[in-house]
Amino acid sequence: MTKQVSRWLGSLALGLGVWSPGSFAWAEPEVRFNRDIRLILSDKCYRCHGPDENARQAGLRLDLESEAKADRGGSRAIDVAAPERSLLLARIAAEDPEERMPPAASGKTLSVAEIGTLKHWIEAGAPWEGHWAYLPLKRPPVPQVKAAAWKSHPVDAFIGARLEQEGLRPSPPADRETLIRRAYLDLVGYSPSADTVARFVRDRRPFAFERLVDGLLASPSFGERMAVYWLDLVRYADTVGYHGDQPYSVWPYRDYVIDAFNRNLPFDQFTREQLAGDLLAEATREQRIASGYNRLHMITSEGGAQDKEYLAKYAADRVRTTSSVWLGSTVGCAECHDHKFDPFTSKDFYSFAAFFSDLKEKGYYAGSRWEPELPLPTAKQKQELTNLESRIARLESVLTTSTEALINGQLDWEGQIAQADREGRLIWEPIVPSRLESAEGATLKSLADRSVLVTGDNPETDVYWATLSEIQTRVTGLRLEALTHPSLDGGGLSRGGGNFVLTDVKVDVVDAEGQWQKSVALARAVADFSQKGFEVARAIDDNYQTGWAVEGDQKKESRRAVFTFAEPVTLENEGQALRVTLAHRSDKNRHNIGRFRLSVISIDYPGIDETGLPDGIYRSATTAWEQRSEAEQKLVTDYWRGHSPLLDEPRSQLADARSSRNRLKREIPTMLVSQSVAPRTMRVLPRGNWMDESGEVVDPAFPVFLTGDAEPEQSLSRLDLANWMTSRSNPLTARTFVNRMWKLMFGNGLSKVLDDLGSQGEWPTHPELLDWLAVEFMDSGWDVKHLLRILVTSQTWRQSSAANDWLRERDPLNRWYARQTAYRLDAEFVRDVALGISGLRVDRLGGPSVKPYQPEGYYRQLNFPQRKYRADSGASQYRRGLYTHWQRTFLHPGMKAFDAPSREECTAERPRSNTPLQSLTLLNDPSFVEAARMFAQRIAAAESPDIAAKIKWAFREATGRKPRASETGILVGLYQESRDRFAGDEERAVEMTSAGPSPGPEAAGAADLAAWTMVARAMLNLHETITRY
Amino acid sequence: MKIDQLLRQRQNRRSFLNRSTVGIGSLALSSVLEPWRVDGASLPDNLGHYRMGSATAKAKRVIYLCMAGGPSHLETLDYKPRLAEMDGQPMPESFTKGQPIAQLQGQELKCLGPQHEFRHFGQSGQHLCSLFPNIGGIADDICIVRSFHTEQINHDPAHTFLNTGTSISGRPSMGSWLWYGLGNDSENLPGFVVLTSLGRGGQGQPISSRQWHSGFLPGNYQGVQFNASGDPVHYVKSPSGVTLADQRRLVSAVNALNRKLDEVVDDQEIATRIQQNELAFRMQTSVPELMDISDEPQHIRELYGTEGGDGSFASNCLLARRLAERGVRFIHLYHRSWDHHGGIKKNMGVTAKEVDQASAALVADLKQRGMLDDTLVIWGGEFGRTPMAQGSGRDHHIRGFSLWMAGGGIRGGTHYGETDELGYKAVVDPFHVHDLHATMLHLFGVDHKRLTYRYQGRDFRLTDVHGRVVHRILS
Repeated sequence: MTKQVSRWLGSLALGLGVWSPGSFAWAEPEVRFNRDIRLILSDKCYRCHGPDENARQAGLRLDLESEAKADRGGSRAIDVAAPERSLLLARIAAEDPEERMPPAASGKTLSVAEIGTLKHWIEAGAPWEGHWAYLPLKRPPVPQVKAAAWKSHPVDAFIGARLEQEGLRPSPPADRETLIRRAYLDLVGYSPSADTVARFVRDRRPFAFERLVDGLLASPSFGERMAVYWLDLVRYADTVGYHGDQPYSVWPYRDYVIDAFNRNLPFDQFTREQLAGDLLAEATREQRIASGYNRLHMITSEGGAQDKEYLAKYAADRVRTTSSVWLGSTVGCAECHDHKFDPFTSKDFYSFAAFFSDLKEKGYYAGSRWEPELPLPTAKQKQELTNLESRIARLESVLTTSTEALINGQLDWEGQIAQADREGRLIWEPIVPSRLESAEGATLKSLADRSVLVTGDNPETDVYWATLSEIQTRVTGLRLEALTHPSLDGGGLSRGGGNFVLTDVKVDVVDAEGQWQKSVALARAVADFSQKGFEVARAIDDNYQTGWAVEGDQKKESRRAVFTFAEPVTLENEGQALRVTLAHRSDKNRHNIGRFRLSVISIDYPGIDETGLPDGIYRSATTAWEQRSEAEQKLVTDYWRGHSPLLDEPRSQLADARSSRNRLKREIPTMLVSQSVAPRTMRVLPRGNWMDESGEVVDPAFPVFLTGDAEPEQSLSRLDLANWMTSRSNPLTARTFVNRMWKLMFGNGLSKVLDDLGSQGEWPTHPELLDWLAVEFMDSGWDVKHLLRILVTSQTWRQSSAANDWLRERDPLNRWYARQTAYRLDAEFVRDVALGISGLRVDRLGGPSVKPYQPEGYYRQLNFPQRKYRADSGASQYRRGLYTHWQRTFLHPGMKAFDAPSREECTAERPRSNTPLQSLTLLNDPSFVEAARMFAQRIAAAESPDIAAKIKWAFREATGRKPRASETGILVGLYQESRDRFAGDEERAVEMTSAGPSPGPEAAGAADLAAWTMVARAMLNLHETITRY
Repeated sequence: MKIDQLLRQRQNRRSFLNRSTVGIGSLALSSVLEPWRVDGASLPDNLGHYRMGSATAKAKRVIYLCMAGGPSHLETLDYKPRLAEMDGQPMPESFTKGQPIAQLQGQELKCLGPQHEFRHFGQSGQHLCSLFPNIGGIADDICIVRSFHTEQINHDPAHTFLNTGTSISGRPSMGSWLWYGLGNDSENLPGFVVLTSLGRGGQGQPISSRQWHSGFLPGNYQGVQFNASGDPVHYVKSPSGVTLADQRRLVSAVNALNRKLDEVVDDQEIATRIQQNELAFRMQTSVPELMDISDEPQHIRELYGTEGGDGSFASNCLLARRLAERGVRFIHLYHRSWDHHGGIKKNMGVTAKEVDQASAALVADLKQRGMLDDTLVIWGGEFGRTPMAQGSGRDHHIRGFSLWMAGGGIRGGTHYGETDELGYKAVVDPFHVHDLHATMLHLFGVDHKRLTYRYQGRDFRLTDVHGRVVHRILS
């Protein structure tokens, strides 16, 4: 059959469209269980008489034929032999409300028509059918239709046959202007330019439309359009979603999806790579990126979150998502109990979750350190990294090679130590500050142990100044001790949760009046402990956004840091003093040191311990050479080399090389991926309670009712799950996917509930067509473009979408397809269309997510850390909507207004609302205002003789069609009136035409451009511009 | 109602649209015809308004004062003398064994006695922490619930649970449910408005916009956040250089063109779009007018303790009253200042000062305007705090904590439920989050079991499969 279809599709291109459908016989019984009965029983009866054992009443099941018809002590719920004796009928038709089913308390009632249908069915022998979606897939014969134009395409034959039954006639084909715009919007997600439309309208060659479709399917934009839908399903986003909603790097997965659709990766392979790319033999980089699918769920780094609880949440999330994406099933409902309506058991749920139990993961990710991450260097980055590594190795060897000068220097230095030791100068001397200030009004007071305690006000950020007077010796360094105190949070180091971030340390020389005299350069900083990413060197890096922190919220220990002066300082004049600045200006609230002590020392290269040298060094260095062990000698030598000015150059080169390497490593994109480790134990959690360990231990297994409960020969993996989902014996995956593709091209699914093909879903309007397409999809080798080509080249797709009252009454939801469906574009495409019309859109594929303009302060509720949104500039500002930074808890308001989902859960169908927030977005969002302004420039510059001609061109650019005279008239009126208004107020005209970074107009032309901007705004605000007709 | 009846009613769609001007986002037209909705009880009428039970309704709107971060019940509404005696002693294991714990995992658990005095207030003699003298002043109007309990112990899921009845994301929050079920009484403002403020008393825990999301309900029932700084509603201000008169002219031209299109394509969404464009234009005036409190007399500003415009909790309380006056169905305030892991003695004082006066002022102000009878005010957090010490503070706690309610059919001067002697677990008349939802809907004349929406093949409720109406707290 597939061969036949490809021949048919191929022959269209050759101009020989012939399709010979098989003979069609459709003898339909009057009442069909699947279509007419199942939904009634499922909705009204199964809650108490269905699969859920715990909720079952009177031991009666109506979801199984044998049970429903069984002898129950002389009577039967359904009595085929004597229908009038069926208890079911008696109970649903009972006069007595106490007797009547369903009981009033259930809130459910049966209509008279429903009771009639059930009666009719039982009288006809109550024939049972398995649930349609679970029945094996067979290719149904293509029906015969009368209309000649609808004979040759299988989609048309199925649709046409049903239309004939319903007594409906298809609508005429849409005009070419509508057709090309619809094809663009459906297949690439933006609208064609006026020129493109005009060319297509003029193209009178045969199969111009088929060529257009093939061109669009081959366009790189096709993958972007498809990705928008797929990313909803797999709930792709750029942030973790829980609590602080911190970013994680998964955008390479998004690019993988775009690329997979563009190269038409067969859907079964697409499935395998996402679920188990890491398990494939010799997995490629792309396949490992694809395996990031398993990591796209929400993750927490909220302090206090329990690993076990969140592992259970993630496991449940994967079951919900995977079963919805591929099986169109709500297995997630079986987390706490057996499914109420479908034959999934609670054990099925946990067995399904067990497929993912081999993933390396945590429940709680401290410090937002997500893992495992796959680094993705470019070839150039890879080379740079190699170069840096070898440079680092070379410099390290310079530092460890002895020279005569080094040895002599070391001898001098050791002599100095010995002398200092004799004179007792080798000790850090704590200084009580003569003056203490807080920039934000906190109270600083000295304690008996010469430390300083911070009390009183507890500001968000603070800067302390401590003046150290009457220092007699030269000073070579400053030691800062951050000390714990019972009055601080958790007995820690600050009143902001126990941790601090010291963003800057500065030392200045001041005179007796506190007037600044000179700055003291700090050469290096060393600490006994630094939190990752908050190394102490960041306190002297001249960047107030970075600083030293010590995990004080977790580790309540005193810490110390030494800041070595570049040159020793000696205070000579009377009253001269050192003023130490300790600044806490991070975005972490109240992360200000709560108690500290400052000390000075006079020997060169001071260390961090009490003696001014690390303990071991002190002991070794004050031991005579000949008495030192080899290890001691090395310790002293290494310390010397780590500090000697003779090695300053290679040392700083090494530091540079290392920091370049670290910077490069940070620049290299990463991807959170799947990594297989020893599986953790999965149990059935009674009522979904993660603390209950009494449940049975389960292994990975497919849902029992679909595959039988035979024990697998070996334990099953994610790859087995992918293979099973895309096997011929599993009818759900193809039905689910085909149904969703139909929805993308026709506005509704053939079965309307896209995420539930189960018994609570909808019996498809055209079950045979759905099955035909599903089989065709599998037979074609899961060829997605082939499937879409079939849909789009049908006459059904090409119909006009215009409705009328008669059609609307006859088929209000357009389920028989006597017309196309008109609907508002998805959020991303609303943006893409506007950017396209304005000429601003940058069509570049892939890369990190981008940040379009966003209202100031929109992230003010975010914390840990606080977030500041910086809109991108340049090309990144004008990328397609799907690249927008997807902040789960605060999705871009323009996207959200047009119903883009937060992607916290799998979304198979977005709602399509129509709200004032949408109008406000189109009217006032700076992205749309700038688009209008740039569109206006194009209109003003268009080579047209008069206002009306310019408007006609612009209208077609925006909507694809030529305006009618009355429409042109409205816009000409708007233009003229606006120009008059702005002509009197050029300042205002300049202001309104200056949106965006492009230079504004000269005042002389401003009124004209302002008027065109009003016209452009009108066109971007049209319902037609954001609608697919 | 039968489908053919519904269709007949809808035949003249112009008149239908003209009738549906009340809802801010009128229900997407196509969805009115969803076959599953044309089915007895859960059918909203044309405006998306729930048709049931409104005859018995006491409340018309909710003002939810969410004390975000988790206020300690032990220093607000639930005094435990026995805990004071046990201060510093080990927490008896019989209380805590096998219970979920947040940051105190694996640490020694010691009792921390109440850090502040309690006093009796009002004729009813309600027992409240002395840090809240103003709330004490309305003691006879409020009902204190001391047996509240929830199921989620971390902030984000706990808020989600309190708002939607489940910790799974993607379900509608209570404000959206009420708007969906009952419509909105404002022609110029959304039916569900959110205001937030940040205090200085604890860590500023983030609040996700998920908390006011409409989930699977149509997007027009989403809560709209009003901002204290910048544009009060996103994009509510015309672009620079554009006057309201320009904007009026533009919207008229757009709608004239939309009407022209409708003549050709006959698309029902166009009429809705026209209506929404008009509403958007009206919001450009009504929203700034709402936010501008310059018409409030001095004694009112003094009552709340705010001059407005600063995004403080007090300012938001005053705005809440203005929103209530304008017919907004659900007004949700969040004050982020209650996460007192450390320094609870002092920090409770800080946070109490931030909320005490304005909370009480709101109730008193509603009362003097005769609006308290049909406005339900709820005051409480997403969870409480442990009787055990966490340093000088308390950790998250979900087994028993407190809230108070006033107005809208609640019996004032009363209390309901009790925790055990150490304030750990709700032992007398436990009051679950689902019970709060059920009782709240009941006050609107809505049976919580019948306000449903079918999604993924299941009829979802705000109360999931639980919830009971607690009649004893009703007047």
